[in-house]
Amino acid sequence: MASRLSRIWPVVSRVRLSSALGTRCVSQTPKSSAAGAAVASDLQPVSPALQDSHGHTEVNPFEKNPDFHGFHHHDTFVDEWNMRLAFFFGISVAIVIGGTFIHYLPDHGMRQWARREAERLIKQREAEGLPLMTENYYDPSKIILPSSGDE
Amino acid sequence: MLKVLIPTIMLFPMIWSSSPKWLWPTATTQSLLIALISLTWLKWPSETGWSASNMYLATDPLSTPLLVLTCWLLPLMILASQNHLHPEPINRQRLYISLLISLQTFLIMAFGATEIIMFYIMFEATLVPTLIIITRWGNQTERLNAGTYFLFYTLAGSLPLLIALLLLQQSTGTLSMLILQYSQPLTLNSWGHNIWWAGCLIAFLVKMPLYGVHLWLPKAHVEAPVAGSMVLAAVLLKLGGYGMMRMMIMLDPLSKELAYPFIILALWGILMTGSICLRQTDLKSLIAYSSVSHMGLVAGGILVQTPWGFTGAIILMIAHGLVSSALFCLANTTYERTHSRAMMLARGMQMILPLTAVWWFIANLANLALPPLPNLMGEIMIITTLFNWSPWTIMLSGLGTLITAAYSLYLFLMTQRGPTPNHIKGLSPFHTREHLLMALHLIPVILLVTKPELIWGWCY
Repeated sequence: MASRLSRIWPVVSRVRLSSALGTRCVSQTPKSSAAGAAVASDLQPVSPALQDSHGHTEVNPFEKNPDFHGFHHHDTFVDEWNMRLAFFFGISVAIVIGGTFIHYLPDHGMRQWARREAERLIKQREAEGLPLMTENYYDPSKIILPSSGDE
Repeated sequence: MLKVLIPTIMLFPMIWSSSPKWLWPTATTQSLLIALISLTWLKWPSETGWSASNMYLATDPLSTPLLVLTCWLLPLMILASQNHLHPEPINRQRLYISLLISLQTFLIMAFGATEIIMFYIMFEATLVPTLIIITRWGNQTERLNAGTYFLFYTLAGSLPLLIALLLLQQSTGTLSMLILQYSQPLTLNSWGHNIWWAGCLIAFLVKMPLYGVHLWLPKAHVEAPVAGSMVLAAVLLKLGGYGMMRMMIMLDPLSKELAYPFIILALWGILMTGSICLRQTDLKSLIAYSSVSHMGLVAGGILVQTPWGFTGAIILMIAHGLVSSALFCLANTTYERTHSRAMMLARGMQMILPLTAVWWFIANLANLALPPLPNLMGEIMIITTLFNWSPWTIMLSGLGTLITAAYSLYLFLMTQRGPTPNHIKGLSPFHTREHLLMALHLIPVILLVTKPELIWGWCY
C-alpha cells in the first residue's frame, strides 16, 4: 500500500504543482517561509543557486580526484590523511577504546550484584522449601512496643 | 572536569595557529580526543551522586550523559561543517569553529555547574554563539527573523528565572545544588509563590520547548547551518530539560497542582506538532517539529516528578539528541546536493544512494522509537508514568506514538522510495566523511542498547 502511495504521490503532487503554478513550475510566491527556499527554479541549468560565490558553476570533485573523501577539495594528501585521522580517532579510539572502558566500569549502585544476589537467594529458598519472601522484615517477637493506655 | 575543559579551551589557539591545510584535521582530532576523555566522567565513584573536584564544577549521574553527549557532538559538528565552509576564507572558517568551541565550553560549564547562578549564566551565554551562527551563516533571508525569535523567546523566559533565583537565594541563603537538596522545604503558600514557581520553570519550558512557546524552534532549526541545527537539537534543548530537573527538587509541593496545565499542554503539543509534521514540505522543518514532539514527551515526563518520569526523560533526551542530530545531518547532505530543503525535490534517493538509504532507514526507525533502541525505552517509561498520573493520558500519548510513527514513515518514503526523478539522477555520490558522520551518530545509539544504565540518571 505504501508502494502504491509512493507511486501515486509524485504524480499527484506534480499535477497539483503544475496546475497551480503553470507548466513551467516556477514559483511566484514570495519567499516568506522556510518552504519558500524550495523554489523549483533550482531545476534550471545555470541559475545563481548553482554557482558558488565566484560565479563558477559546480564542479563534481570526483572528476579530478576519484578517491575524494569529502574532506579537502583540492589537496588529495590532506583529504586522505584527514579521512584516516577522523576514522582512527573517531572509531578506533573513541568508540572502541571508549566502549571498552565503559564496558569495564564498576557496578555502580550494586545493581548487577543485586540481581545476582536475588537469583541466588531464590534458588536457595526454593531448594530449602522456604517462601521466597516473608511478610515481616523484622521478627515480630523481637519488637518491643510501648504499652497502650498511658500517653 | 578540568581535564576536559582545558583541552577544549586550548582548541582556540590550536584553531587560530594551525596552517590552513591542516585546520580541519587537527580540529577533528583534538575534539575526538576530548570526547574520549569525557567518557571518564561515566565512572561515578561515590554513591552520594556528585563527583566533584572543586565546589563549583561537579558531575552526577544526571549531568554526565548530557556532558558526554555535548563533548561527542563537537567533532560531529566539525565533520558536518567541513564541506559547506570550504569556499569561505580561512579566517571565517576559523571563526566558525571558534564559535562552536565557545558553545562547547559554555555547555560543559552549564551542565557541570553546581551553583544555579552559574548554570543560569552559562545558559544565557550559549545564546550568543548560537545566535551568531544562525544569523551569520544561515542560508536564507529568514535567518534574521529566526535569530530574533530564538534570542527573544529565550530571554523573555529567562529574565523571570533570574528574579526567581535571586528570591531563592534570599530565602535559603545558598544556590548551590549540593546544599539545596538537603535544605528545609520552603513554605510556599501565597500567590506570589505561585508566580515564583512559574518564574523558575518558564525559561526551561521555553527552551525545551513546550508547545505554546515553541515558535522559535522551527525557525531557528531550519535557518541554522548544519552545525547550528545539530547543536540546537541535540544539546541546547536538553539544557531546558536539565534545568527543569534541577529546579523541580525545590519546587514541591506547589508542583502538584501547578504542573497540571503544563503537562496537558506538553501532551497536546505532541499531537499537534506530530500532525504538523505530516503536512510539512520542508525537510528540516519536519525534523524540527519532530523535535518539539519528542521534547513535549520529555517535558511531560519531568513535570509528573516520578522516578520513572525523570529516568524516561533523561533516556529520551540522550537518544533524541543523537538521532535528531543524525537526521539533520542527512537533511544537510540532501541540501548540499540539491540546494533545496523541499522534500519533493529529493525523492527516490534509494535508487542512486543505497547506502545512504540505510542511514535514512536506521535514523527514521530510531526516530519512531523502534525497540530495543533507547528512544523506545524512554518513551515507554514516560508513557507509563503519565498513565500512573492519570489513565486518560494514554489516549494522548498513544495517539502521539502513532503519529510519530506515521511521520517518520512519511519522511522515509518521501525521500527514499518511489521513482527517482530525472534531476536527481545526477547527484554526486555520498562522501566518506558523510558516511563516517552518520556512523558516529548511530553507533552510540545502538551501543546504548547494551548498557542503558549509563543514561538512567540518579533515580535508580
